[in-house]
Amino acid sequence: MTIAVSDPPARMTHGFDYTKLVLYGFALVLCVLIVLPMSWLVYYAFVDKDGAFTLRNFATLVNDPTLLDPLITTFTLAFSTSLICCVVAAPMGWLVARTDMPLRRTVRLLVTASFVTPPFLGAIAWELLAAPNSGLINKVYRIVTGADADSHLFNIYSFPGLIFVVTCYTFPYVFVLVANALERTPSELEDASSILGASTWETARRVTVPLVLPAILAGALVAFLQAMTLFGSPAILALPAGFHTMTTKIWSLFQYPPKPELAAAASLPLLILTVILLRAEHTILGRRSYAVLGGKNSDPRLIRLGWLRWVALAMCFIVLLNPVFLPYAALFNATFSKVASQFISFSNFTVHNIHFVLFELSATKLALYNTFVLGIATATIGTVIAVVISYLTTREAVTGHKALGFLATAPVAIPGIVLGVGLFLSYTRPPFVLYGTLWILLLAFLTLAMPAAYQQMQSAFKAIHPELEDASRILGATRLKALRQITAPLLRTSVIATWCFVFVGTIRELSAAVMLFTSETKVISVLIFDLNESGDLAAISVLGLIMLVVTSGIVALANRLRLGGGSVRLRDN
Amino acid sequence: MASVELRGLTKKYGSLAVVDDISMVIEHGTLVCLLGPSGCGKTTTLRLIAGFVEPTAGEIRVGDRVVSSPQKTLPPERRNMSMIFQSYALWPHMTVAENIIYGLKLRKIDSATIKKKLDDILSTTRLAPLAERYPGELSGGQQQRVALARALIVEPETLLLDEPLSNLDANLREEMRFEVRRLHDAYRYTTVYVTHDQSEAMTTADVICVMNLGKIEQSGSPEDIYDRPRSEFVARFIGMSNVVKGKALDSNRVSIAGVPLRVTGEPLKVGGDAAVSIRQHQIALLATEPADKDNIIPAKVIRQVFLGSSRDYMVEVADGTQLRIVTGAAESIAPGATVWLRLPPERCRALTG
Repeated sequence: MTIAVSDPPARMTHGFDYTKLVLYGFALVLCVLIVLPMSWLVYYAFVDKDGAFTLRNFATLVNDPTLLDPLITTFTLAFSTSLICCVVAAPMGWLVARTDMPLRRTVRLLVTASFVTPPFLGAIAWELLAAPNSGLINKVYRIVTGADADSHLFNIYSFPGLIFVVTCYTFPYVFVLVANALERTPSELEDASSILGASTWETARRVTVPLVLPAILAGALVAFLQAMTLFGSPAILALPAGFHTMTTKIWSLFQYPPKPELAAAASLPLLILTVILLRAEHTILGRRSYAVLGGKNSDPRLIRLGWLRWVALAMCFIVLLNPVFLPYAALFNATFSKVASQFISFSNFTVHNIHFVLFELSATKLALYNTFVLGIATATIGTVIAVVISYLTTREAVTGHKALGFLATAPVAIPGIVLGVGLFLSYTRPPFVLYGTLWILLLAFLTLAMPAAYQQMQSAFKAIHPELEDASRILGATRLKALRQITAPLLRTSVIATWCFVFVGTIRELSAAVMLFTSETKVISVLIFDLNESGDLAAISVLGLIMLVVTSGIVALANRLRLGGGSVRLRDN
Repeated sequence: MASVELRGLTKKYGSLAVVDDISMVIEHGTLVCLLGPSGCGKTTTLRLIAGFVEPTAGEIRVGDRVVSSPQKTLPPERRNMSMIFQSYALWPHMTVAENIIYGLKLRKIDSATIKKKLDDILSTTRLAPLAERYPGELSGGQQQRVALARALIVEPETLLLDEPLSNLDANLREEMRFEVRRLHDAYRYTTVYVTHDQSEAMTTADVICVMNLGKIEQSGSPEDIYDRPRSEFVARFIGMSNVVKGKALDSNRVSIAGVPLRVTGEPLKVGGDAAVSIRQHQIALLATEPADKDNIIPAKVIRQVFLGSSRDYMVEVADGTQLRIVTGAAESIAPGATVWLRLPPERCRALTG
């Protein structure tokens, strides 16, 4: 809208056109971001090398065992991960939310720590721990049992090893959903059962568990989705073991000689499955809303575990050994040890690795620079787009705002690797040749960040009663002035928090980046991935710890700013 | 001098007319209450007057200038109005004082005048000790007074109130009703007040407009509306009325349960269906058959409840129609007993709507 112009009719027409223009402008931006790469993806999946229509790509997908096996592997991986996640995380969520187990906050914090750990970093840390020969755990095993040099306790380069590592960094999704659902369930529902004569355990069984069942189910779907679309961990652990998942297969189809049509055809099932799973999750969680309804809620009553609470705590810490304590210890060890696979000792201690990574490794500087430039650009542009779109949709300022909201949330259904393929196909050909520049990475990161940023800002806008703006208007402020004096100050913390989360999500992104980088546009996550292939684990540990410190610092900052939209779901890759 | 006039005002969402061809004149300095159940279009009417909503048809005039019409709508900030919102809409990032002087700052008034006006309004609304607090630190009643102060300090031509008391508890609500009326008498703005609470409307309004389904059912003084309802909706919505139905015998007599009843109000069409309203406390309940048969209907007591200062009876007449009657507490008649109802002709209002 415009500021007062003397002639009212002119002012009105002007304002009208201006908002329409904004709508179309942003719709165009979103279309370029989402619709363009997805269209090229579908196009390539249905044509042969000469550009004629064909279904051969899909036939190859089903008939070629090197393509069919990864599909089966992926499903087995996703299903097992999802199952183990529920078995481990749901009881933990209940312990933290509803019992008098000691150190509940600490357990929560540690789960958050495994949440912010990029899964590919966790996978590398587990290489340090459980590679058959050099793994630290296997070394301890050989020393303790006196077994010969060839034997090992664990082999992380195996299918069970992959399931284990993926589960380590997926279970927080289930944990958070279950714990939040339990905390939001009014304890009156349980009190009502108690007053009718049910014992504590009976109430838990007949009321509490059925109430959180949808959350567990939704968590299982999310875990399935994460495991299915993950690229980093399988690339690090499955490739040395000699097998593929869908994501690594799609990636390898782009290695020499590239087969983009097959990659596109292989991406489509992933895309479609993701859409279906997200719809299912939405339906399940949507029906749960009754649990959140209903007036004043007191603090949930905690169930007394007696001496069992110490057992419960011990179990939690044993679980947390795997995603947090052991991997972090391994990374620290590798950082300060002369040889990554040896324990730190007085003779072995060194800070040379840090010096090497920061000052000698030529790729570091460029990757750090690229990562921060992209992180800041993505966070800033993404937040601005999210603010404008959520203003238009929550205040229903223009017709067509619903479509805009849909476009902004759509990328949530696009796995990073699929988006990478789509962007590669779109921008390696005229009219837009962006491949090899930072721009294509910016587009990828913006697209991936958009749903979370939009949801954040939308709930922030929803929390601001529209009457607050109306009150300012009726007292004489123009629309712009009301936005500046009333809405902007109230949104400030949400904007900063959103910026932080987009930034963090961007600097840890791997699956889209790995499809799109060139030697001049490497980012840290890609550099870590490269260094892993060359076996330079000490350098990875240094980079990984830098990344973890930056990430957790920013996450802590954003959490302190009290987010409007509850927990943010980071994307894993 | 600014009266507010609505001419054929209509607002449609799709095919649904939320406000349907409303016309009325609000004289300068009067307090008009838009009264009706939720969804009757009263808040939309208020937001049309404020300029937050553009009309589909009709126009709004303030004085002799058109402020709203389908062709052009003056934005809210240029109407010199003030509004008190249902949520109060106090800005949480500003103190009480900052909230109140916001409108004056927009008007570029010098700080000495602002200070004086602020002190005045703070003492009028008894908020002086709270000036530096934030809205989140105030009770509901205090927030309400800040909202009042913020709206009044700019001395608007027109003051709009959207269910301003609905978030307060019962005691405070009663107190604030008189406060609203007192402040209106003190400042004499043209005021439009939206509420669904009839006693709130009775206490505060000069003129009450009863709204239903986007239309004004009846408007008039509180006495008018209460004593002379024109439609069944108004009769039922305002006060507690019995509405009984029968056939018109002639222009002012209706046959109810076989008994001819004299009524007042608009002349009736002979032989047509007629509805008659009568207040619960205006029916006399007689335990013995009276000698004078004028406007007497026999009935049977279904139940009675003792309410301390009164008794609440439910009775049934010959055709099965049930009526509620409020009587004095003294006389108790057991359920099942036959009684005679005296319906004073001047209290039986023939309804047209």
